[in-house]
Amino acid sequence: MTPATAALPWRELTTLAGSGDGEQTLVARLLAHWRAECGAGTAALYLAADDGWRLVLRDGEEPLPPLLSDPARAGLAWVQFSGALVAWPADRPGEVEAPASPLSALLALAARGLRLGHELKLRGFEADYRGVELEALYDVGLAIASTLDLDRLGEEILLRAVSLLDARRAALYLQRDGVLRLDRAFGGAAAAELDPAQEATRRLLAGGTPPPAASPLPGTAYLLTAPIAIEGVARGLLAVADKESRHGVGPFRETDERTLALLANQAAIALENAHLHRQALEKERLEREMELASEIQRGILPRAVPAVPGFELAGWNRPARHVGGDYFDFLPLPGGRLALTLGDVSGKGVAAALLVSTLHSALHLLVAENGVEPRLFERLNEHILAASATNRFITLFLADLAPATGELGVLNAGHNPGLVLRATGELEQLVASGLPIGLMPGVHYRREPVRLEPGDLLCLYSDGITEAASPEEEEFGLDRLTAQLARTRQEPLDEVIAALGRELAGFTRDAPQGDDQTIVLLRRERA
Amino acid sequence: MTEGLKLTVDRRSGLAVLYTDGYINNQGGEEIARAAYELIDQGYTRLLLNLHGTKIINSIGISILIEIIERMLQIDGRLGFCALTPTIEKTFHIMGLAQYAGIFPDETAAIAALAPGP
Repeated sequence: MTPATAALPWRELTTLAGSGDGEQTLVARLLAHWRAECGAGTAALYLAADDGWRLVLRDGEEPLPPLLSDPARAGLAWVQFSGALVAWPADRPGEVEAPASPLSALLALAARGLRLGHELKLRGFEADYRGVELEALYDVGLAIASTLDLDRLGEEILLRAVSLLDARRAALYLQRDGVLRLDRAFGGAAAAELDPAQEATRRLLAGGTPPPAASPLPGTAYLLTAPIAIEGVARGLLAVADKESRHGVGPFRETDERTLALLANQAAIALENAHLHRQALEKERLEREMELASEIQRGILPRAVPAVPGFELAGWNRPARHVGGDYFDFLPLPGGRLALTLGDVSGKGVAAALLVSTLHSALHLLVAENGVEPRLFERLNEHILAASATNRFITLFLADLAPATGELGVLNAGHNPGLVLRATGELEQLVASGLPIGLMPGVHYRREPVRLEPGDLLCLYSDGITEAASPEEEEFGLDRLTAQLARTRQEPLDEVIAALGRELAGFTRDAPQGDDQTIVLLRRERA
Repeated sequence: MTEGLKLTVDRRSGLAVLYTDGYINNQGGEEIARAAYELIDQGYTRLLLNLHGTKIINSIGISILIEIIERMLQIDGRLGFCALTPTIEKTFHIMGLAQYAGIFPDETAAIAALAPGP
């Protein structure tokens, strides 16, 4: 081949070389001359690419491979310039030395210019695509902040992973019941679940590659995974496979690992947000239920105090939580008599409140059958033993008042002594005659008679009052209770209770209430 | 949306609409390019890509679309895109496709802008 330069259209070539976008046309013209000079039917220009030599221009009709790794094996002769090949089909394939000629020099220069232009374009494309990646991560962050819809977020994250990493396949796994279950897949089938106890899964969670048989995306050649972890604990896995190029699939790059890890982190945030939201909803639901339970329990306690001729009566209850284990009631009895009762179920909260409800029902039924007699408490004991958990019991005080005479018949099942503050200033304590209700079977009780004289005050209370503690953990105690009652005993009973409440608040300095507090007061009017 | 690309071509007077359904990756992009070049060879200089059925595109797919745009510019033709998801539309703007191809909210607007005048 001896290229002649005289026939070159120098004017046209000069114009093309001087124009901003004529580079490709310039190379095409030179390639056509080259083909004519070497007498080939077809000639092509290949530029160096990551995966071989890529065809960028062809002159002639004969098809040539779009990508070359070994031009000789493709039956081509070629001349190599810097980062470029000019190749043509030849009987004797192989590299040919570039002739020292103006055409050769021009083609080398133009090809170099074209290659630099291509590289510049490629770098520009890559830089722009980094912008797409950043925008995508920003958008996923915004989506996470704007919705708790895990289904939507799962799809968003999976599709972003596929597109940003040029993946052909992908899968998202989320932990449920101790295993990683497939949430969704893209591009083909994926393993339904991954067992974190298996070595292959542990390797995946560590970002490693399992044996092909254990791949979550069977049939793929290149796998990249990132754990979805919350506080170091894996809650899921994001997997992509087979990074695409123009010529097939290949391994992922280091930058892809970072991108996938970022998306997995976003997924972790979305999962945590959704989890916290579910917890908040559950808490709200429980609070609504507790409020309802509280309303029900308030319905069990008397709404009004019955009028008792010759007596003043008051009752007050403040549970430590929404619902409590203290109980008081006034039960009308035949012959104008009235039963006053105050009980305390062991424990607090819902379990105690449920037993209060049982006690309330049983007491109302059994008092009609048995009157206020020891057998009432004995029957109640049997009933509560049968109906409640083994570790639950009730201390219960019940006084049967005959208003006409001031006589009281008292039953006390392990409850704090009832206090009788006599008008004379003396204090009497009505102590228990038997064990708490529901503690053990076969317990017997006694009915103790007491008589209230004009001006005498009976006080029933729960231990939430006497055991109310100061910040120094000192208890309010029986002495402070009796002293307080003594100070205010002449006041209306509502005021006696209000003054006691203020005294308690001052003593505890508004420390959180540790136990339910209940008090019932009965005072015989002076004649 | 199917995950491989399904392509439908609607040839109209002076304009052809290519409907995509699925992933525009290397395979899907090549399929679009083949159809576009065939239409160009048949004399179509106005092409509209309706991406209503496409939710996802990767960088290879974008590079192929850029090549189609370049080819259209070489023949003084016009290429438009319509019915893009917000994600794909944003991607096209960042990647510079919007500078050389029209982006339209729907097919009606696209055809009104692309169709050759009387």
